[in-house]
Amino acid sequence: MLNGLRWIVYAIAVLAMNFPVIVTLVTSFKSARELSTNAGLWINQPTLENYFRVLSDTSRFNIYIYLANSAAAALIGTGLAILLAFPAAYAIARSEAGRRILLPVVVNLRAVPLIIFAIPLYMMYQWLGLLDTQLGLGLILTIVNVPLALVILVNAISDVPAELDEAAKVDGASSLQVMLMIIRPVIRPALVTTFIFGFITAWNEFLFGLMLTTSRAVPMTVGSSFFFAASGGGVQWGTASAVMILGALPPALLGLLMYRQISGSMMAGAVKG
Amino acid sequence: MAIVNRAEGRLYFTPLVGFLLLFLGFPAIVNLVYSVSTVNFETLRSPTITGFGNYLSVLGDREFWRSVSFSMRFGIVTALAECLIGLFLAIFLAPLLARRSVLMAPLMLPLMVAPAMVGLMYRLVLHEFAGPVPYYLFEWFGDSPAFLDVNNAFRTLVVVEVLQWTPFAFLLFYMAYVAIPLDVREAAALDGATSFKALWWIELPLMLPTLTIAFFIRFIDGFRVFDNVYALTGSGAGGSTTSLSIYIYHAFFKQGAIGKAVAASVLLFLASLVVLCVLNWLAGLRRR
Repeated sequence: MLNGLRWIVYAIAVLAMNFPVIVTLVTSFKSARELSTNAGLWINQPTLENYFRVLSDTSRFNIYIYLANSAAAALIGTGLAILLAFPAAYAIARSEAGRRILLPVVVNLRAVPLIIFAIPLYMMYQWLGLLDTQLGLGLILTIVNVPLALVILVNAISDVPAELDEAAKVDGASSLQVMLMIIRPVIRPALVTTFIFGFITAWNEFLFGLMLTTSRAVPMTVGSSFFFAASGGGVQWGTASAVMILGALPPALLGLLMYRQISGSMMAGAVKG
Repeated sequence: MAIVNRAEGRLYFTPLVGFLLLFLGFPAIVNLVYSVSTVNFETLRSPTITGFGNYLSVLGDREFWRSVSFSMRFGIVTALAECLIGLFLAIFLAPLLARRSVLMAPLMLPLMVAPAMVGLMYRLVLHEFAGPVPYYLFEWFGDSPAFLDVNNAFRTLVVVEVLQWTPFAFLLFYMAYVAIPLDVREAAALDGATSFKALWWIELPLMLPTLTIAFFIRFIDGFRVFDNVYALTGSGAGGSTTSLSIYIYHAFFKQGAIGKAVAASVLLFLASLVVLCVLNWLAGLRRR
């Protein structure tokens, strides 16, 4: 009896929280003709024409460019964040340095609204010629990803017994060698989690994409909104839905595959915050 | 012997620290200088320091206070709702999820979708002709409210935010809940505590640190909200949905009022410092 109630609550929660995604998915399979008479959740004549149009007609908006920009910027933003955070995390975990100032400052960065830095960064980018480039967007996404990367990696390295390092040092390895050849393979799962989490965060970022790109480097989150710009005859809801599904798919798939790891790192990030 | 000596440690920190100084430290200084200067797009490189005029014009701007009020209300209401619903789901669904952890995945899906994207999706969901919500409301009740007009926009946005981020609170609470040691629960049961009493007197107090942290994280995220609000209403609905982040964005990109935007940024920075100090102070109390 109570268990049945639990299932009902679960079903309602899943439906309510995923409602926008469900509606968008349903709409993306409706033809324009059907949409004008049937806005409900049932599809009378499913069609792939919206996806076909989005993927083949690139004259007005080219979705491939947006997808490529998101992928490139997210890869830079995640890869660089790990490259910067890993050595620092190693030093923090294996010495007293950085625990008092660097770690708390970086961790608290997560809670600082990054729009504060947006205006000077915009001017700096204008000066450096980084506006509207994948690299420029990727560098900002690095800032977004560094705090959580550092927390996850410090935790992971701290869990590795220091005897492992000491044994290698006795055998004559330098600390750089220990870091790269002993620690790196051992904390591989944490590196993967950091990467997945960072990639999803970076892919989903919107504010800096909106401010720092205009055409060449526009990411998917910003590009999707272009399809909502009414251009005679109003918004093509079917097309717009297909675009959003395609844009939401990469992070959603990654997230569903790795949900266990991700929930663990959310906890780590929150507790250390 | 320390595994990483002082010099090596410094070397390992350098890339990260350098990067942060360049991308956050330098902008912070620019912010401070510009906020006390007269500056426009022609005089970007040579601002003239003129005092606190920008701060005064921000503090005297009714729109600024309106956006502060929006962000404040939005942050508190959404954080409260997310924590309450998340807590209920975590405790009520725990027996279900303990046996089938794959059930977690659909609950976590909203966290993987870009908030900006969710904002766009609700444009469809709530659209008077193409959206299913008005469609069914018309079908069943013959009427549908204007979800995004001045009177309803705030409530609609709260629901949008809460539905997307309740899973975050739920997740933290669920993990804190299942982490309560079994012997604590057994001891409570042996002492004759009903499950409600055990929840109120033992389990909730044990989860209190997580509850506090989740509330603050969600409050901060709600306070600085930009993506979904901007994508769904812009500053629309008569400016009634301008959050502080959107205010700064508009001051800079739409009005070109650099000084005002920068001064508002500094004020937002100070405000977030205050919140962070409270949060760290609470965390310190817990450790003692």
